Amino acid sequence: MELSDANLQTLTEYLKKTLDPDPAIRRPAEKFLESVEGNQNYPLLLLTLLEKSQDNVIKVCASVTFKNYIKRNWRIVEDEPNKICEADRVAIKANIVHLMLSSPEQIQKQLSDAISIIGREDFPQKWPDLLTEMVNRFQSGDFHVINGVLRTAHSLFKRYRHEFKSNELWTEIKLVLDAFALPLTNLFKATIELCSTHANDASALRILFSSLILISKLFYSLNFQDLPEFFEDNMETWMNNFHTLLTLDNKLLQTDDEEEAGLLELLKSQICDNAALYAQKYDEEFQRYLPRFVTAIWNLLVTTGQEVKYDLLVSNAIQFLASVCERPHYKNLFEDQNTLTSICEKVIVPNMEFRAADEEAFEDNSEEYIRRDLEGSDIDTRRRAACDLVRGLCKFFEGPVTGIFSGYVNSMLQEYAKNPSVNWKHKDAAIYLVTSLASKAQTQKHGITQANELVNLTEFFVNHILPDLKSANVNEFPVLKADGIKYIMIFRNQVPKEHLLVSIPLLINHLQAESIVVHTYAAHALERLFTMRGPNNATLFTAAEIAPFVEILLTNLFKALTLPGSSENEYIMKAIMRSFSLLQEAIIPYIPTLITQLTQKLLAVSKNPSKPHFNHYMFEAICLSIRITCKANPAAVVNFEEALFLVFTEILQNDVQEFIPYVFQVMSLLLETHKNDIPSSYMALFPHLLQPVLWERTGNIPALPGLLGVFQKLIASKANDHQGFYLLNSIIEHMPPESVDQYRKQIFILLFQRLQNSKTTKFIKSFLVFINLYCIKYGALALQEIFDGIQPKMFGMVLEKIIIPEIQKVSGNVEKKICAVGITKLLTECPPMMDTEYTKLWTPLLQSLIGLFELPEDDTIPDEEHFIDIEDTPGYQTAFSQLAFAGKKEHDPVGQMVNNPKIHLAQSLHKLSTACPGRVPSMVSTSLNAEALQYLQGYLQAASVTLL
Amino acid sequence: MKRSQVCRDPGQSSYFKGPSNLLLPVNMPTLDAPEERRRKFKYRGKDVSLRRQQRMAVSLELRKAKKDEQTLKRRNITSFCPDTPSEKTAKGVAVSLTLGEIIKGVNSSDPVLCFQATQTARKMLSQEKNPPLKLVIEAGLIPRMVEFLKSSLYPCLQFEAAWALTNIASGTSEQTRAVVEGGAIQPLIELLSSSNVAVCEQAVWALGDGPEFRDNVITSNAIPHLLALISPTLPITFLRNITWTLSNLCRNKNPYPCDTAVKQILPALLHLLQHQDSEVLSDACWALSYLTDGSNKRIGQVVNTGVLPRLVVLMTSSELNVLTPSLRTVGNIVTGTDEQTQMAIDAGMLNVLPQLLQHNKPSIQKEAAWALSNVAAGPCHHIQQLLAYDVLPPLVALLKNGEFKVQKEAVWMVANFATGATMDQLIQLVHSGVLEPLVNLLTAPDVKIVLIILDVISCILQAAEKRSEKENLCLLIEELGGIDRIEALQLHENRQIGQSALNIIEKHFGEVSDLGAWRSIQGSWWGSSAEGHPAGAWAVACGR
Repeated sequence: MELSDANLQTLTEYLKKTLDPDPAIRRPAEKFLESVEGNQNYPLLLLTLLEKSQDNVIKVCASVTFKNYIKRNWRIVEDEPNKICEADRVAIKANIVHLMLSSPEQIQKQLSDAISIIGREDFPQKWPDLLTEMVNRFQSGDFHVINGVLRTAHSLFKRYRHEFKSNELWTEIKLVLDAFALPLTNLFKATIELCSTHANDASALRILFSSLILISKLFYSLNFQDLPEFFEDNMETWMNNFHTLLTLDNKLLQTDDEEEAGLLELLKSQICDNAALYAQKYDEEFQRYLPRFVTAIWNLLVTTGQEVKYDLLVSNAIQFLASVCERPHYKNLFEDQNTLTSICEKVIVPNMEFRAADEEAFEDNSEEYIRRDLEGSDIDTRRRAACDLVRGLCKFFEGPVTGIFSGYVNSMLQEYAKNPSVNWKHKDAAIYLVTSLASKAQTQKHGITQANELVNLTEFFVNHILPDLKSANVNEFPVLKADGIKYIMIFRNQVPKEHLLVSIPLLINHLQAESIVVHTYAAHALERLFTMRGPNNATLFTAAEIAPFVEILLTNLFKALTLPGSSENEYIMKAIMRSFSLLQEAIIPYIPTLITQLTQKLLAVSKNPSKPHFNHYMFEAICLSIRITCKANPAAVVNFEEALFLVFTEILQNDVQEFIPYVFQVMSLLLETHKNDIPSSYMALFPHLLQPVLWERTGNIPALPGLLGVFQKLIASKANDHQGFYLLNSIIEHMPPESVDQYRKQIFILLFQRLQNSKTTKFIKSFLVFINLYCIKYGALALQEIFDGIQPKMFGMVLEKIIIPEIQKVSGNVEKKICAVGITKLLTECPPMMDTEYTKLWTPLLQSLIGLFELPEDDTIPDEEHFIDIEDTPGYQTAFSQLAFAGKKEHDPVGQMVNNPKIHLAQSLHKLSTACPGRVPSMVSTSLNAEALQYLQGYLQAASVTLL
Repeated sequence: MKRSQVCRDPGQSSYFKGPSNLLLPVNMPTLDAPEERRRKFKYRGKDVSLRRQQRMAVSLELRKAKKDEQTLKRRNITSFCPDTPSEKTAKGVAVSLTLGEIIKGVNSSDPVLCFQATQTARKMLSQEKNPPLKLVIEAGLIPRMVEFLKSSLYPCLQFEAAWALTNIASGTSEQTRAVVEGGAIQPLIELLSSSNVAVCEQAVWALGDGPEFRDNVITSNAIPHLLALISPTLPITFLRNITWTLSNLCRNKNPYPCDTAVKQILPALLHLLQHQDSEVLSDACWALSYLTDGSNKRIGQVVNTGVLPRLVVLMTSSELNVLTPSLRTVGNIVTGTDEQTQMAIDAGMLNVLPQLLQHNKPSIQKEAAWALSNVAAGPCHHIQQLLAYDVLPPLVALLKNGEFKVQKEAVWMVANFATGATMDQLIQLVHSGVLEPLVNLLTAPDVKIVLIILDVISCILQAAEKRSEKENLCLLIEELGGIDRIEALQLHENRQIGQSALNIIEKHFGEVSDLGAWRSIQGSWWGSSAEGHPAGAWAVACGR
């Protein structure tokens, strides 16, 4: 590709096409550009265009294309070809800085990005003159150019903030410091001077302040790893100027925007960060400047307004004070009573106020509000910063601070009392203040775990929290209601039980509040209270204590799910689950209604499952209702089946993947409850799972819309195959054999396909358990027949290739027992084992069975599976779908039938030997190894039998 | 008075034994490379030798040189003996010569003129501010002054010349080189035998001013001459000068002074270490600190002289200039083998270190914490010793309230401790209250420290898991505000930190543990959560 006009023209055409909205035009153009980008001069053509094209759109487009090209190609990857020829690299590096600096801002940004990508690879070794070139531009006096340089420098140096110390990194930093620190310092001083000469020129000031922000950021990067000698020597200059800038104000720089931080805020915010860095890391050297910064930052806080645009600045500034006040040698800066009072009054209290923005979030974005307030994702908020400052001050001044705040709390409560509807925010602040003052440590599980002993939490609860919650109108002052409920929630371990008991009906009442935050908090508080533990690890509240409220509790909980915005509210659903669990039999009278409501909910959310937690608790609640009811009355299981199977069918038919694991577990729970016959409702579901027509389309699993597809998917998935086996095992164990007859063969074919395609240890283990269970239920002969029915001699192959070599891997007591009993059956109840070509496998099978009994479990996993495991780690959905309430004690399908599998083996062998005298001892003695033989004799002795 | 030029900061040079198992990249600067980490991971807890490795020096410094180090070069700007013969002679003679006159005088054949010119030059070179070292060198005066050193008939001239050369040599490396290349070393060594004490002492001083040319001095056989001067009757200032010069002959690695030199000097240092003068003690200790700043073999040379008990006594000195180098030396020694560390413990170092952690100077706290961190990097019976001497309480206090550079060393100590500790020792560590300050330091502006703390937390959580005490520990960490901080670190720009935080959250604070005990269901019978849940168990007990 030559640098010719013709090529420039062509390139222009194609660039134009890449902007076309029609993909038919755009895509080929993009493809074309990609196909030619390997040619020499391609990047230079782009640079020429972005500089010289007449068309502004093409200029910008060329600059973006150039940056992306650099991003994709600049890095030289080992063992891969160099994608940009050396001449182009040299030419790019020679021109790009100049080009960037002379371009309009839009293009400058792209080129600046490109420079930092190149710099990341080439700087400093392969781009030695970059720094000098940049530094020289400081002399230009043109702040458009200077800001370009500063921006580029920032993107090159900011990695010093997060990379580990290494020789390479420090060599680079040293180089940068040598070339850059002095010019940067001079520029800093010059810029500040210009700020005062241009104090009346708004547009000049804006540019100058952008420079100051960038300079301050560079200061942070260059000082992060360690305190450089240069900056230690020039600390006076930097810190004095930073201090001046912190106290500076200029009307011209104030913005009208309430949300977006202005230049002044951004600069001061960065200076707070810089001061905090020095205070924390270079304390010894910074000590003499620190008091001045404390004063400046504190004054700054006192004079800064409530607007959102100041949030970052204020929270940074408060965090600075918080980190300083808990250091022992700065204690003296704060200990004066007036200072403390003033910090409390002018810094902490104002920043705890409930602001318009909070009110907006409370009403319109409650989910976000709850997350911030309840789950602590409020790290950068003013309130959080103010709380941290309270905690920091309490380290040395708990008494005085508590005293000061008590005064405030009282006066704020008085204000509120004068005119609640106008002054309710005062009470909100009072509650917040008490909370932040009292809570020293907190966990989700227990609420507050360490409280400030100087605060009387119960008294405050009785006098100021309960009255609000007792008011008849649950919709009045929703913020205060939420505050009150939250107070109960977090101080639940501090407030005595009798008071908590009083609040339970009040909380139930607030489930009806219209405000999402209020009814969510009410549900959450109830849920937390119901999990509390008393002595003996029993729940603190007994079912009897809650009994008077059962009906209203359940009614209100389900009603809350119908309130606008809460149809899939996980807190409410969790409270439902928890209530069921606490109340146990007390819910039985309401079950018909409850289960109807739950199924309706299930049906509704299965259309588009989006709240995993909500769904999980919902299925837990369903399981609980089944368990509780059927424990008292097993016959009731039919009612549940009637209610649930319609929805289940729909879930299975629509392949709602998120729910299928849950459905299987609920079905298993139901099946387990049936003692004898299986109702027809299962028969109705079963064919869905095993429709013969679906068997033929095995190659097309993901597209298979039917139910078998789901089963097939489970079996085919390394992560989920256990679910498939779980289903099969349920079927085998509980279904009458006739009902399964016609599907058996297909099931086995499917399993073999999986075995062929991807055999994993996990699959083999499940497979072994399954075929042995099959053998136990349907007989050894049936097993042999089904294998050989699929393909002649298949049975022998399975014995030789799978059962004998792999049986050692089976883990779990029940699993091992199933396998032992199954193999015993194969050895002693399967005529083809005695008199066909399979006979040669008889002794090896016996030997492996003895191995299963006696040898340690083989837990080796083939190398390649280690990484398969990682790849196939069950994802979110599966990992969460384990229903605790569907669970049961270890289930043993062999049960009493066989108590001791070793004795059982001995007895079965004895029985076999009586049927064909002489055969068994000879098979045993000729090819069983000595050790195994010894074990076997032990079993025979224990069973008091002999082989004939 | 003294110009300090110091070459290294204790926090950076050859320090830690590698706390290997925690994957703390301490051995070499390249350790952050993924291969290296993987290698270390593989040997986790297995390769004992890795635990003992020393951290190679990151010789680069961004910092200003430390002030509490030993003086590297000294210029003689005092007339330490006002009644030297030269002064007497000069009395009444107004010496104010121009540089041109000095050049002329020095080059004259008249010893008196030579003397006057040399003395004037010496006075110029001794002025406190901006001595004209460069001018004097460029004027070509050095060769003549070297000649004067040999004029044994005129001790006053010898003295002035030696003094002038001392001050030139105290300049930059280049200026020192000018003196060495002017051939001054040999005649200076000969002056060590001069009967004139002032001349002799000035020669000692001059020889000490050339640490860059240490080996030139050593190969010129200066050591025996220096050692021969040491005698009980020597004036104290003279003895100080000798000790200082000897220490400079021990100084610098890459390369170290040769074995023969070390063997010659060590007995003299032991002898000097018994002295009462704090300056002598200080420089003798500095000398030992240089000799122990290296391989285990070099440490062995020093340790085997039996010097440790005396060093431990000196660590209790109230003089900072004695305490600092003796602590440094012991600190260097415990970077050595387990046996060498054991010898330091036997000598009683652990009696002293807990007090030093509470010293009012942060630099001492830091060195003490550093020394302890290397004891903690040893086998668990060394860790047991740390517990026996109750090291943890003052250490936790430093973690809470120390200066950042001290906190850093203390974090390393905890990391090494946690890596090598037995279960019981780990429990004692947690009970000492170490988690609270560690969690607080998770917001520190130092990526390495943050990563180490995450590793420590992860290590402790794993141990707690084995003892089924994880739940309580998780609650404790949550109470301390740890979850919030670790969660925030998941978004850290440093990938290793982000990953490490993510792993902790997923493994120990994930919602999985919230929603019932999910376990690997490979091959289990029902493949459901059935096993292990007593009916009605609260799987959802601690939901958020």
